[in-house]
Parts: sequence; C-alpha cells; structure tokens
Amino acid sequence: MTSLADLNQNIQTAARRALADGRAEVVFGYRQGTAPFTAAPHFARTPEDCGQFVWTSFARVNLAAYLPKYPGKVALIARGCEARSAVGQVVESQFPRENLYVIGVGCQGMVDPEAVLAREKRPIREVTEDLTTINLAGDGWTASLPKAEVLRRNCKTCVCRTPKDLADEMLGGDAPPLPADDFADLKALAAKPPQEKMAYFKGLVKDCLRCYACRQACPLCYCPVCFVDETRPQWLGKSNDAMDTFTFHLLRAFHCAGRCTSCGACEAACPMDIKLREFNRLLEEEVQKDWQFVPGASWDQKPPLTTYRPDDEADFIK
Amino acid sequence: MHNPYLPYPVRIAMIRVETEDKNLRTFKFEFLNPGDEEKFAYLPGQFAELSVPGQGEIPIGIASSPTEKGSVLFTVNRVGQVSTFMHCMKEGDIMGLRGPLGHPYPLDTLKGKDILIIAGGFAVTTLRSTIVWMLQPENRPKYGKITFVYGARTPGLLLYKEEWSDWQKRDDIDVHVTVDREAPGWTGRVGFVPAITKEVCPPPKNTAAIICGPPVMIKFTQPVLEEAGYSTDDIIMSLENRMKCGLGICGRCNVGPEYVCKDGPVFTLTQLNQLPKEY
Amino acid sequence: MAEYTVKDKLSFLKAAAGSGRRLLAPSSKDGRVRLAEVTPDRVAFDYLNTHLSPKDAFFPQTEKMLAFHKDAAKPGAFVYQPLGLDKIQPTVVFGLRPCDARGLAVCDRVFQNDRFTDPYWKTKYEGAVKIGLACQAPGPNCFCTAVGGSPFGEDGLDVLAFTKGEGLGLKTLTPAGDEFLKGLSGLESGGAAGEMDGLKKAAESRLPGPLDLAKAQAAPVMEIYNQPHWKETADRCLNCGTCTFFCPTCHCFDIQDEENERGGVRMRNWDTCMSWLYTIHGSGHNPRPTKTERVRQRFMHKLKYIPLKQGGACGCVGCGRCVQHCPVNIDIRAVAVDMSK
Repeated sequence: MTSLADLNQNIQTAARRALADGRAEVVFGYRQGTAPFTAAPHFARTPEDCGQFVWTSFARVNLAAYLPKYPGKVALIARGCEARSAVGQVVESQFPRENLYVIGVGCQGMVDPEAVLAREKRPIREVTEDLTTINLAGDGWTASLPKAEVLRRNCKTCVCRTPKDLADEMLGGDAPPLPADDFADLKALAAKPPQEKMAYFKGLVKDCLRCYACRQACPLCYCPVCFVDETRPQWLGKSNDAMDTFTFHLLRAFHCAGRCTSCGACEAACPMDIKLREFNRLLEEEVQKDWQFVPGASWDQKPPLTTYRPDDEADFIK
Repeated sequence: MHNPYLPYPVRIAMIRVETEDKNLRTFKFEFLNPGDEEKFAYLPGQFAELSVPGQGEIPIGIASSPTEKGSVLFTVNRVGQVSTFMHCMKEGDIMGLRGPLGHPYPLDTLKGKDILIIAGGFAVTTLRSTIVWMLQPENRPKYGKITFVYGARTPGLLLYKEEWSDWQKRDDIDVHVTVDREAPGWTGRVGFVPAITKEVCPPPKNTAAIICGPPVMIKFTQPVLEEAGYSTDDIIMSLENRMKCGLGICGRCNVGPEYVCKDGPVFTLTQLNQLPKEY
Repeated sequence: MAEYTVKDKLSFLKAAAGSGRRLLAPSSKDGRVRLAEVTPDRVAFDYLNTHLSPKDAFFPQTEKMLAFHKDAAKPGAFVYQPLGLDKIQPTVVFGLRPCDARGLAVCDRVFQNDRFTDPYWKTKYEGAVKIGLACQAPGPNCFCTAVGGSPFGEDGLDVLAFTKGEGLGLKTLTPAGDEFLKGLSGLESGGAAGEMDGLKKAAESRLPGPLDLAKAQAAPVMEIYNQPHWKETADRCLNCGTCTFFCPTCHCFDIQDEENERGGVRMRNWDTCMSWLYTIHGSGHNPRPTKTERVRQRFMHKLKYIPLKQGGACGCVGCGRCVQHCPVNIDIRAVAVDMSK
C-alpha cells in the first residue's frame, strides 16, 4: 500500500463490488467527519454512496455494534476488532453468518484525540492523515505526529491488526503485530489490599454521568432492555449516586467477560474519558487463563461463560 | 415562592373497586390541611399528579366535578409501579395530590352549543366530571342538548354505573351506554362506539364533540364525526402521554412544540392535525 | 449601563469573592476545565470553554427536591417537605461563555414558563450574578455566529468581560450587574466599550456565517417532521444521549423516588430523549418507538420547537460540544442544512 488515497480507492472499489455481486445490500464503513478528530459511520446502498468511504484513524465506534437485528445482507469494512466483534455477533446468534461479508483491512491503530491534545496545546482547527502520520493545522501553523505515538490505549496491545483469518476479503497490507497486553499494571493492582483496589475502581468512574454512551457504543450490549433500564423491578437507582454508578460499570463488565474484543469503543465514546476498559481487562485475562479463549477468534466456539460443561472447574464452590 | 412540585397531603377517604376485572379502583381523597381544597381549584378536563411517597407520581384525570365539594375523585387503572402500589393502599392512608394541571375542556367557548360526549372504557373519568358539572342547575342552561355515548367491552367494565343509570332517567341528557357484544343480564345497547355515534350524533351545526377513549375507538370514531360534517375545530380530545413534572418543564410529554401537560391535555382536532402523532 | 476597566484580573476576582457571594468560575481539575466553587487564584483564563456546560450549576445532574419520613409517632408522616431551597447561596458566576449564557436563558424560559415557575431553578439562576467572558479566540468547533449568537454576545448575562492585557474590560448589562460592580473596589470607570466593538468584529470574523434556517423556521411543523433525511441520520445514531448531557439547552429530567425504612426523597435526574424509556407508556405503547423518532425529536426541539415556543430564539447556541463529543459525528449544522433544503 503506497498511500491513503490508494487504500481509500480500494475500499470504495471493494464496497461497490460487494453491492454489485449481491453479497451485500448495504456496506458499513466510515466517511470523513465534519470536525477535527471525527469520522462518521457511513452506510452505503448505491455505488455512488461508496465514493464517500475512507480509511480513518478517528473511528470512535465499532461498526459491528450496528449488526444485531439489522435487516438484510451487510458487508462490513472491518478493522481487526470489528471483524472479531462481528464474529462474536454471529456466534451469539445476533446476526446470520450468511448475511455477513467481511472486508478486512490491516489496521495500524486508531488515534486517541486526548493523546494528541496532550502533545499539542495550541487549538487544532484541522486534522488530516496519511498512512502513518496525522497532520495538524492551527492558526498559522502545521505539525505532524506519527500515529504510532498517539494510539488509543487498546490499540497499543491489539492482537488482531490484520484480520485475515476472519475476513472474506482483505485490503491493505499486513499491519505488523504488536506484543499482547501483559496486564502487568493490573497484576500489580491485584496484589494490593481490597480497599485500595476498591478505591482505584471507584475513582475511575467518579466523573461518570450515567449517559450510557459506553453501553450504546459497545457491540456486546445488544440486550433489548439493559438491567439499568428495567423498571419492574428497578434494580438500580437513576441518580449519580456513587454506588449505583459503580454497580452499573461492574455489572456491565461481568456481562462482557469473555466476550470483549478490546475494540475500545466504550472509551472512545465516553465523553468524560473514563478508562472503562480497566473493568474488562482483568476479566479478559482471567478468561484467557482459565479457558484459553480469545473472543471473536472462531466462528463456532461459544464464549466460555455462556456455556456449561460437566468438566468445568468448580473449585470456587466451597 | 409557590413550589409546584410539592403535593398537597391528602387522606384516602374511600376506595371503590369499579370493574369486574378489579383493575380499576376509584379513590376519594380529602385534603389534610384546611385551605388546600381552595388552592386546588380545578375544572373538568384537568388532571393531577397522584403522589405516593417513596413510589413516585402518576398523572390522572380528575373524575370529580368542582361542584362536588369536600373531596376529589380519581379512577386509577393498575398498570405500573405507582398504580399497583395504590391498589394495595387502604382507606385512611396518607399520600399526596399535586395540581390541578393542564387546561380544562373549553367550557366557556362551548356555551350555547349542543354537546356530544363520547367515552370509551376507563377514559370516561374527566367526562364524568364534565357531565356532573354541566348538569348542575347553575350550569345546565348554558348548554343546548347534551348527548352522551359511552361504551366498554363488557358490562362489567363500565364505570360509574349508578351515576349514568341516574342520568338515563333525566330528560336533560341523552345517554347511550353500549357494550361490544351481547352479555347475560345486559338489556342496553350492543355495538361499538363508532356505530352508536353514527346513529345518535346530533347534526353538526352548532354542536361540539368531546371524545376520550382508547386509540382504536378514536381512530374509528373520528371519521364518523367528520363524515357527519363536524368541523375539526368542534372535535375536542384529551391526550395522554408519559409525564413527570406536569409543568411543561421536564420535556417528556412533548408532542411537537406542545407539552401535553401544560399546553394540553385538551386539544381540538384542528390542533392535533398539525402535530406529530407522538402520543 | 456602565463600563469599567480593571488592571489586574486577580484583584478583580478577589474583590468579587469578597463580595459575600460564593464565586463559581472555570478552573482546571484532572486536566479538564469545569465550573466550580474556587478561590480567585485558581480561576482559569486559558480555556476555550468548560468541558460540561454550566447548566449543572443551576440544574444539577441529580437534585433532591422533597423528603418525607415514615415515623407515625411524629407529625407529618408520609407528607413531603421541600428540600434544599433554603440553603441556596447568593453566587457570582465568572467566566460564562456567551454561548452558554444564551443557553441558560433558553432554559430559563422553560423553567419559568407561561404557567409555572420552578423554584429550584429560579432561586439559583436569579440568585446568581452572571459575568460572561467574551471569546477573543473562538475554538475550532465553535459556531455561535451560525445560530444568531456572538463571541461577545450579551443574552443571559449581567456583565460582559473581556481580557485586556493583564486586566479586564467590563460592561454591565442589567441592574443586577450594575449593582454588583458598583459595590466592588479597584474598578476604574470607562475605557471598555470602544475597544469592545473592534474585538467583537475581529472575533466574529473568525467564526462561520449564519446557517440558513429560514425555511426550517417558516415551514409547518409536519413538513419538516416528514422530511426523508431523518432516517439517514438516525441510521448511525447510537441513541447514547451524549449530546443531550453536554447541551447547554437540554433541560429534560426524570423524577424518581428513593426510600428506605425511615423515609425517602424525591429527586430529579438529567434525562435524555434519546432513550426509549423516556416516552414509553405504562401500557407498553411507545410514541417514539425507534431511533428515527428520537433523533428527529432532538433536532426538531432545538431548531423548530424551541424557536416556535420562544419567539424565534434558537434552541442551539453553537457551543459545539455535541459536535465534538458525538461518537458518530452527527453534526447539528449538517442537520440544520438538511432541514432547510
């Protein structure tokens, strides 16, 4: 791949082909956003629509989150995490495999606007990108930053930058693999006294507004009625009471255990920049350790916490 | 400063099970504090928030008429948390009443007109209020002929039986009570409200219709009136929507630019035709 | 109305804080600027705008309104009493951006509408002297000028200030602003208004021109309501409600009761029309059953319903927060263009 323009061309061509071949009635991808650090999910139904597709480092959501119950055949222009989440939707019977066509794209990671703003304090009026750098412009100045230096936290430990094992078709070159999350920080936290751990997790969500953008952006949160929205009985208070807020995040993390693909949509959607994945990462590690399961890696293996086997470990029952 | 969120404390003076399915109960409230009854000055068509401490509030149309002094009546359908809780309350229990809220039926502009009142099911509540009010000797001369059509699925689901039975005996109101199909012991009319309306509705000239009922009844009755020649200005309806504050602030009952609670719940069909059907 | 200058911002803030009013001003905490009760030395000046809109100073995310007790031995069991209204302190708010002040004025016309007055809002809003700080360097997502505002706008403010070297220029806009500044020491009379006009023009020239909302505002409600573009916008909307939580004019709330064995409270919490729960009836019927109706409601409310109800005042003040935070880039400017096509 020589340039971003080439990649965009390839994406648009692949999208048109998927529509023309009848593999899809709609193609999910992104188009250019209208403000710095934004991109808009773009749903193309005609060849003309496909002309707007771009590759972007500013995708804040996971396109697989739109799949559950989506009518008709869908082609997904997918990063590794999106391909994995799409696999998860199929495995969890939220979307039929035969209606899904995955156009995989090698991905060097998404850019964290907060990381950019930490490096560049001047007001940024325009952001553009090419394959490996982002280009910033302000009032009478320009600057470039290597994407690799301002990646989103989850993208720094991505285990599926090139989803060729999951895609029906691949675009772009392979993105060189990264070392997986070693969970070193969380292991250190786990060794601390319970009060300190509690304080850490409570501190994470102290600014939470209960807007539920994390849940809405999450490809795993497809429940028709979330437990926090149930009214009879109402499980949880609706105020910004710290315990209610904490309970929401803790329970959501458990509901996602062994299913999370670390796509980071929750953190990217959170307007208060809460490190929501801290709740999921520990559980991710547990699931890997106990069941050697990687979510979204196989089209037929169910997540371990949604299955029962007679030989499941039961040593936690005393 | 007046606090419109603060309910008047009331005591449940009487509870009556209204229907055979026991889903509807009528509550009679008496104000705990002297002077509150005067502050709660209302007219037919208005509603109030019934306020149960610890449970929440529900907006319910006022079923009594302001001419019935000393207490206020509400008929409550058991649907959600608050109404279910209320169905388990006892006479003598203390709760709250917040209002009156919304606009009443346009009783002034209806003066001099013949009145057609159409009710379906338990939506009859504020129409009971209207009829009681209009039949008062001081009010009755202000209106022409009054026709009342009231329907329910079965005889056991009709509310306020004693009252409409009394009205049937009067000569200053035409009462047509109907049930959907034949039932043992029922000697009254049988048929759906739209059909009965078609049969008994007065000529549209100088007549206004007030309609309250389930969506399906409204859907089929409205064309009957329009075919009969009623102008959309003379078809008056009362909307229901989910509400919280009742004051036009919390936003929840918004239908187009209108707040059902503050700007309604009473609208003419002319007004409703210009609004989204988000109710 | 009067104009003043002060040579030193800090001494002005100290005087304001010493006026007997609580000082609320933008300050930085955990890398984010927010409106908070602060000491004068911690007030931030180098901010585009506060992260959250200032509405929570007058309309907190959670506000306890009433309380009751269950002790039958004491008088008034199960009778609600008002909560907190007697504890609201007189305040001076410094550093409101003109867009946000205008947003608060939109909210004020809802909380104090043609029939009812919300005492929880009124006591706080009218109990505050509101000093705006003009935007001399508007941000990349700002578009106040596109919706009838200005970086030097005066709506909803008692005083408008602008940075003048190390000091401030100040212009009073209401009797409350006049009275407040009269009582402060260290102010020199005059020397602000002339300079303000030039700065205003310079700042405005860096912002976009007006959006063409004429058609959307003139057309009947149902014509805009039935436009085909809503479906396309709704397609990508997550219904997350971030826009509503950050919007300075979104004022919707839920009322909830919570109780324990001794008593309970009634409170209100910010709510969002993006949620299906917001409108659902007890019967299960939902007047806005899908994303499309909910997305349309938000934009119709901002750009059509509020102008209709508030004499033409736009429900969007161009602060740009929703544009910045929407995870799927639903841009109210683009929606406004669609509505006026």
